Amino acid sequence: MALPQTIPLLGWSWDDLIFVVLAGVMLGGALMVVIGRNIIRSGLYMILSFAALAGFYVLLGAPIVAAAQVLIYIGAISVLILFAIMLTQSKAGPSNLVFHHQAWAAGVAAVGLAVLLLIVILFTDWPAEVADGVAAGTAAIARLLFSDYVLAFEIVSVLLLAAVIGGVFLAKREEALDPGERQVDEPTLARQPPPDRPRGVAASEGP
Amino acid sequence: MSQSLDAYLILASLLFAIGTFGFLARRNAIAMLMSIELMLNAVNLAIVAFGAYVPALAGHGALIALFVMAVAAAEATVGLAIVIAIYRNKRTPLVDEYASMRE
Amino acid sequence: MPFFTEAPAEAVATTGSSLDQLLVIALLALPLAGFGLTALVGRRLGARAWIIAVPAIIVVWLAALYLIYQTLIVGAFGDAGMHFRLYEWIPAGDFHVDVNFAVDALTAVMLIVVTTVGMLVHVYSIGYMAHDPGRWRFFAYLNFFMFSMLLLVLADNFLLLFVAWELVGLSSYLLIGFWYRRRSAALAAKKAFIVNRVGDLGFGLGIMAIWTTVGSLDFGEVFTRLPGQLESGAIQPWMMIGICLLLFAGAMGKSAQFPLHVWLPDAMEGPTPVSALIHAATMVNAGVYLVARANPLFAQAPEALFIVAAVGIFTCILAASIALTQKDIKRVLAYSTLSQLGYMFAALGVGAFVPAIFHLVTHGFFKGLLFLGSGSVIHAVHDEQDMDRMGGLWRRIGITHATMLVGSLAIVGIPPLAGFFSKDEILGESFKLGFVWVWAIGIVVALMTAFYMFRLMGKTFYGPSNVDPHTEPRIHESPRSMTVPLILLAVPSALIGLALGLPPENGTIHHWLEPVFRPLDEALHHGAADYQILGIDGFLLGASVAVAAVGMIVAWRLFGFFRLGPRPALVSSVTGRLRGPYVFSLRKWYFDELNDLLFVRIGGVVARGLWWFDVHVIDGAVNGVASLTQGTGRGLRLVQTGRVQNYALGIAAGLLVVAVGYLIVAR
Repeated sequence: MALPQTIPLLGWSWDDLIFVVLAGVMLGGALMVVIGRNIIRSGLYMILSFAALAGFYVLLGAPIVAAAQVLIYIGAISVLILFAIMLTQSKAGPSNLVFHHQAWAAGVAAVGLAVLLLIVILFTDWPAEVADGVAAGTAAIARLLFSDYVLAFEIVSVLLLAAVIGGVFLAKREEALDPGERQVDEPTLARQPPPDRPRGVAASEGP
Repeated sequence: MSQSLDAYLILASLLFAIGTFGFLARRNAIAMLMSIELMLNAVNLAIVAFGAYVPALAGHGALIALFVMAVAAAEATVGLAIVIAIYRNKRTPLVDEYASMRE
Repeated sequence: MPFFTEAPAEAVATTGSSLDQLLVIALLALPLAGFGLTALVGRRLGARAWIIAVPAIIVVWLAALYLIYQTLIVGAFGDAGMHFRLYEWIPAGDFHVDVNFAVDALTAVMLIVVTTVGMLVHVYSIGYMAHDPGRWRFFAYLNFFMFSMLLLVLADNFLLLFVAWELVGLSSYLLIGFWYRRRSAALAAKKAFIVNRVGDLGFGLGIMAIWTTVGSLDFGEVFTRLPGQLESGAIQPWMMIGICLLLFAGAMGKSAQFPLHVWLPDAMEGPTPVSALIHAATMVNAGVYLVARANPLFAQAPEALFIVAAVGIFTCILAASIALTQKDIKRVLAYSTLSQLGYMFAALGVGAFVPAIFHLVTHGFFKGLLFLGSGSVIHAVHDEQDMDRMGGLWRRIGITHATMLVGSLAIVGIPPLAGFFSKDEILGESFKLGFVWVWAIGIVVALMTAFYMFRLMGKTFYGPSNVDPHTEPRIHESPRSMTVPLILLAVPSALIGLALGLPPENGTIHHWLEPVFRPLDEALHHGAADYQILGIDGFLLGASVAVAAVGMIVAWRLFGFFRLGPRPALVSSVTGRLRGPYVFSLRKWYFDELNDLLFVRIGGVVARGLWWFDVHVIDGAVNGVASLTQGTGRGLRLVQTGRVQNYALGIAAGLLVVAVGYLIVAR
């Protein structure tokens, strides 16, 4: 089935349609990340937003970046964030107060920033031509990576190693040297049955 | 429309503004980190768009975006580790209750 | 009166031999070391706290005796005395002050009193303070006072003198307030210190005036150059008078002359040895010493001398009239001291400087004796000071009684005891130098002196005993460490007049002091006629002795004398008839009330006004600046919330401002 060259009624090209849909998904997802009440849903919307972004990279003729976006952001960072959410939300649950007192100021600042950027973008004379599509090809990128950018590449690898070590070190639970110290630990206390609860009830529930 | 650099840049700036708002307004530390990821992605989008539209930057834009992703991964790792470490001390992920920088 | 018409030989100041210099330094170093050591280890010494302090002063006394012998008997230092510089103290541009010392005849005469009475008081204190837990502190302070007082008489420039002046004031403060737990003692110490400040302000201004006019503070230079400047017209006579009066203000404070006399009676809150040493024999004489030392200046300012005489003789009769009715044995002696100091200033004022110093010496001995005796009495009746609760003690504490009787006769001026020579000389000279009013008041005071002294003796020693029945059986003579100094002081009190004052107006002391007061004699030109025992002098002498005898006999009749019983009925009828003057005297002329009104109430209102101004205007300005800063800081502190997102918001806002600003500027 052959599609028409342009979309009826709107007069857009299919690329335009894809662009608009992706933009809607990405911005909508991002907004839901930012204003969503439930932090887990925020994380999921973030994945959606990142996926839409990967589509943009394809549109822009950078498939390798799109692949990396899927692998790194959706596959690694988002999952990491979801794990972190699980670890920190276990008790408190979704909070009613999502925003700060300064949320209005943050809104003003964000809108101001957006307006500023829009003004700058609209009043600047950007080159209108698409560059050579082949230039963003995988082979060319690999060649650049291991020639001009080899030093940056090595530095980033060291940075990642340091981040791994640092992350492990920071997230590692400190060993309590004194066993007595453990007992004052709050979760330990929380796990114990409330004192007012009769012991016999717990026992009868067992079988 | 999809052939215009302006459109991508506007998109990137809107995404960046949304991320900024989230970073400034959310109380939850992890939500803030997610907002930072949004901002990083906005920048990435702008970089890739420049790489696609400016002949001199062909290839370089995509490459820089890859580097940004690598650095973002490192940042996310360390950031989340810090959040978890603080959470363990303070028993809350809400940043506005971390006031120890005051004194 | 010796009168030398020839010009003084240009005396070249000698620096003395190294032994002499060493001794002068030892005079200061030993008490200072005694003070330091006693203060450091005294607490551990317990009852033997005197073990460092007293021997130190005995050695000082011996050293001083040698120096006195060298100065006065041998004349090793010539007329100008021995001067030497220890080191350069303040070399600040044009302003040079050295630590330099001088020993001349005046200093030597002062040393006689200071070291002898000081040594005896130290010995006496061994017994007197034996049961006081704070004795180590007492001996430390006492040594410190000796250091200060010796520095005062040895200093050879005004600034060093001023330092010593303040140091004796400090030790006086510390010793008056020795029993600082007693509120009255603490208040008395404060009163003495503050009243002295008033005089010291004048003294300090005087020193500054001297510096600005002469450009030096050395006694030698000031005393030669200042009169020279007056002669050449470089300074006006009123400036000279002003300087002299400012110096005299300091003397008034230290020597408790009207109207700054109020601190001395209260100073009796201190232990009795302190009263004897500081507030009778030595420190209170510092004012007399200062005026005597500055005689080349006063010689050029007869108007200032007139004021000195007026203040002195007024204090003299004021204090004597108050002493008539006081009930506290030490207060009678305190007012007596004031009165005698008044005599000395009157003598200085009329130009009779040698008799003034002579009286200073004799008074130092007999008043020291009287105070120590009163201390012995107080000791005997177990810390009772009210004379109405004494009486009949003469059989019980014989040595104390005998020595005090000598002291009383000496102060009253019965020949041939010490007071007779010096007091009679003051009265005689003031009459002959034309100050008949001074003589007239002085003779009335002599009558009063005789009366109040034998009122004191009568109430204390004679008549029936009014001692508390509980302490009556336990009255006892004081230990030997107290009685021996009494006897040792009684000897000079009796004989020093004979030794130094004969023949009248031309005795040993006159020869000693003549070089010191030569500038004065030259300036005032009072050529004295020969002493006429059968003429005017004999008449004056007879008058003063007769007056003293009358006062004495009246007191005997009223208050008893040995077996002669007192007549309380007559006393009460006299006081009843003279109710007004009696109460006026008893309430000390209402000076404390007047001061209270003037300085506490009226002054308080003024001070409160100034305080309001200070708090609201001056402090307000200062605090306003401070609270502005503080408020700004407090406001800015809110920025430092400690919350990351506030900071991030700041970053965002800053970015916006910078970017917008850049866009605007770039356009």
